Amino acid sequence: MSNTSRSLTIGIAGAGGDGVIIAGSFLQRLSALQGYYSQMPRYYGAQIRGGGSAVKLSLDADAASFPGDSLDVLVCFDWERYLEVKHELALTPETIVLCEQDPEGQIELPRGSFVLDFSGASRSVSGSTRGKNVVALAILTRITGLRGDLVKKAIEEDEELVLLKHNLPAFEAGEQLHSQSSIPALHLPPPANASPRVILSGNSATAQAALRAGIKAFFGYPITPASEIMKEVYQDLIYDSGVFLQAEDEIAAAGLTIGASVTGAKSLTATSGPGFDLMTEMMGLATISETPMVIVDVQRGGPSTGIPSGTEQSDLDHAIYGGHGDAPRTVLAPFDIEGCYRLTIESLNIAEGHQCVVILLSDQWLAQTLVATSDTFLRDDPVIWDRKRPGPEDAADYLRYKLTDDFISPMANVGDEGFSYRTSGLSHDEKGRPAFDSGVNQSMHDKRWRKLAPLAERDELVRLFGNESSSRGVIAWGSTAQAVLETIRDLGLYDKVKLAVPELVFPLPHAVRRFVESTEKLLVVEMNHSGQFYHYLRSRVDLPKDTRLVARAGSRPFSRQELGDPMLELAA
Amino acid sequence: MTAKTDEYRTGVRPIWCPGCGNFGLLNALTKRVLPTLGIAKHKAFVVSGIGCSSRVPAYIDTYGFNTLHGRAVVIAQGAKLARPELTVIVIGGDGDFFSIGTGHFPHAVRRNLDITCIMVNNFVYSMTKGQTSPTTPHMETQKGLLPNEHFYPPVDSMLDMLSYSVSTQSSFIAQGLSTDVAHLDSLIREGISHKGFSFISVLTPCPTFHTEEVFDTIKRNASYLVEGEPVSLPESSKDKPWLHDPSDVTLALRLAEDPVMERAHLGVFFRGTEREF
Repeated sequence: MSNTSRSLTIGIAGAGGDGVIIAGSFLQRLSALQGYYSQMPRYYGAQIRGGGSAVKLSLDADAASFPGDSLDVLVCFDWERYLEVKHELALTPETIVLCEQDPEGQIELPRGSFVLDFSGASRSVSGSTRGKNVVALAILTRITGLRGDLVKKAIEEDEELVLLKHNLPAFEAGEQLHSQSSIPALHLPPPANASPRVILSGNSATAQAALRAGIKAFFGYPITPASEIMKEVYQDLIYDSGVFLQAEDEIAAAGLTIGASVTGAKSLTATSGPGFDLMTEMMGLATISETPMVIVDVQRGGPSTGIPSGTEQSDLDHAIYGGHGDAPRTVLAPFDIEGCYRLTIESLNIAEGHQCVVILLSDQWLAQTLVATSDTFLRDDPVIWDRKRPGPEDAADYLRYKLTDDFISPMANVGDEGFSYRTSGLSHDEKGRPAFDSGVNQSMHDKRWRKLAPLAERDELVRLFGNESSSRGVIAWGSTAQAVLETIRDLGLYDKVKLAVPELVFPLPHAVRRFVESTEKLLVVEMNHSGQFYHYLRSRVDLPKDTRLVARAGSRPFSRQELGDPMLELAA
Repeated sequence: MTAKTDEYRTGVRPIWCPGCGNFGLLNALTKRVLPTLGIAKHKAFVVSGIGCSSRVPAYIDTYGFNTLHGRAVVIAQGAKLARPELTVIVIGGDGDFFSIGTGHFPHAVRRNLDITCIMVNNFVYSMTKGQTSPTTPHMETQKGLLPNEHFYPPVDSMLDMLSYSVSTQSSFIAQGLSTDVAHLDSLIREGISHKGFSFISVLTPCPTFHTEEVFDTIKRNASYLVEGEPVSLPESSKDKPWLHDPSDVTLALRLAEDPVMERAHLGVFFRGTEREF
C-alpha cells in the first residue's frame, strides 16, 4: 500500500511495558482530533507483563476501515516479540520500519528502514527510557502529516492526553529525531467533512448500550476478552442504585441474572466461551421459565481454554443448540462497532419483549479493537421494549403462562401484589404448576417456539451490501464480515457480487432465506474450523449447488489476501 | 396463630411418600411461620433446587421458583439484590446444598444478604431412589453396618455442613427436626427475622430409603440447646458447666462437630451481628 491511498496501516510492536498500546491509542486520538477515522485491533499474549504486545492502526480519511494486511509503517521496540505477531503485522518491501536495534538476521528489513535511538532520545531529556514510546509517537505524527500546531494544542488541552503533556520533552525529542532523519513522509490526505467524535471498543459499546437500555443489574465473572464490559457498567450501576455483583463463577452469574430478572430488573451478564459453557443449564431454565435473560458471549479461540486473547467464531453451534432439550433462544451477532451498540439494545428488547434468552455473539476482534468513528449511533434515541405485564383483569386466576395469540403471556414481577405465582424448571401448565401431561407439554413447547417466530421477519437485521441483482452472493457474520466487505471493495467487486451479513442468526431471518434463494453461486465465510454457520444454513435452506465454504480456525482475523481468490472466483 | 390454616397452601397435592419429613417443613412454613410473621403472599419468594424438598414452592401460595439442582441459593440472591423488600426463603436438600451446589454456599455466606436457607437433610438422594449423598452416615463411624436401603454403601466420610456453615461465618445458624414442627417454626421465624444470611439445617426422616433406625438414632441421641443452660458436651460438667451462648462462635463450632448420629444438637448454634441493609 502507498500514500496514494486514503488510508494508512501502522503497526507498533514490542514487549509488554514498552508502551505499545499507549502509543497506538495516543496516535489514534491525535489523528481523530484532526478528523481521521481508525480501527486499532490489539494483539497480545497470555503473559500478564512482558509478553508480546502489538497494535495495528488503520488511519482513514473516510471511514473506520478494516486494517490492511500489510503495514505502511512499523515501529518495533523488540524484534523477538515482533516475530510472535509477524503475520498480523506483515511487512512489504515498501514498509517503512522504525526500530531501535537491527534485527540481526531474525528478519529481513525492507529498504526503507531506520534504526533510531528512541530510548536514548527519551533518556537525554528525562533521564529515563520510559518515554521511548512517546518519542516514536512524535515521529509517527510527523510521518503521517498530522498538523503539528493542532497536535501541540491537543496535548495541552485534552484531558485524555495528560500523560503526553507530562512527557512533552520526550515528544519534542521525537520531533527533533525525525527532523534529523530522512524518513519519507506518508501524509494522509485531508479528512472527509464528518469527523470521528468518539473512540471506543466493542466491549465499551456493549456496556454503554446496556446502560442506555436501562439495565438495572449486571452479574459477571472475570474472563478474557469480556471483562471490560463488567468494568464499564460497574461505576454507572452502583451510582444509579443498580445491582452489580462479581459472582463466584459463571453458573452463578447466569443464575443471579435470572433471579434479578424475575423480579422485573432488566439484567445482563457477559462472558466468553468457557463461561458460556457454564451458563448452559441456566439458559435452559430461563427458556422454560420464560425469564428474560441476555448473555453477551465475546467469542475467543476454543475449545476449552483455547486462545483466550485470539478471535474466533466457534461458539455459534453452542449459542444456537447448546443445552439439552428443545430450548429455543435468539442469537444475534454484530459485525461492527455500531452493531455492538445497537444489537445490545436489541438483545435486551427481544429478551424483555419475547420473554426469552438472547445470546449476543461478539468476538475478541470486535470487542477489543478501538474504533475512532462517528458518534451518531450513540446519540440516537433507541426504542426500548418493556415486558408484557398483567392488568387487573388477569389477577383473578393469574396464569403466568397464559396461551395468548402471540404466545407471549403477561408476566408479573415477583413481588407484585395480586399475582403470586409458582414457576419451575419442570414442565408446567399455564398456571406454572408442574405438569407432565403430553398435551400440555406439547402446547408449552409450541408456545416457546412460536413466540419467537415473528423475529424471522425482521428484515432490517440482515445487512445487505453490493449489487442486489447479482446472482453471486457471499454470506459472512461477525467481524469476519468486515474483512469480507473490505476485500470486495478492494478488488472492485462491489458491483459484481452481493453480501448478506445476518445480525440476527437465530431464528434464521426470512431475508437470509430470500438472499440464498436469489443466488446461483454462494460463498460462506466464517472463522471456525467446521463451518458452523454453513451447516446451520444448510439445515434450513436449500443452498445453490455451487456453494463454497471458506472456514478456518481463529486467532487472527482474515486477511484480504486469504479472501481474494475465493472472492474473485465467486465473481468470475 | 393458625387462624387460617390453609391460607398459604396451594391446591397442588404434594408428591411425597407417607411419613416424609417434608410434610413437617411444609406445615411449619404454611401453618406457622408465614401466618405468624404475617408476610404478605406477594412479599415472599420461595426458591428451591431439585429434590424431594425442592417441590415445596409449588405447594405454598407465595411467589415460588423451583430452579436447578444446587443453584437455588444463587437465583435467590439475584432476586433479593434486585428487590430487597422480598422475604426470600431458599429450600434444598443435602445434595443441593452440599454436593452439586457446595461452591455457591461460602459466597452466599460472605455476601451476607438477608435470605434464609433451609437445608432439608435426609441423608440420602431420595428423588433418584436412594443413592448415597455427601451426608449419608459413613458406615465406619457407626457401630456395625448402618442399616439402610442404599444400593451402594457410603465409602467416603460425611461432609459436615454445620461446621462448614460455622467456619464460613454464616450470620445465623440453627438446626431442627422436621418432626418437631413447633421448634422448627421458632428456628425458621428467627432465621427470617435475623438480618443477614441464615442457615437452618432440618434433620429429616426418609421413610423410603432409610430404615426407621436411622432417624430414631438421631432423635434418641439429640439434645436441645437452650440459651444460658448447660450444653450436652463431654467437656461440660456439673462443676464447670458450659452454658449455651449463641454469640460464641467457638462453641458453635464445637457443637457442630459432634457427629449427627451420636449427638445432634438442636436449636440456635450461632447468632452473629445483624446487618444494616
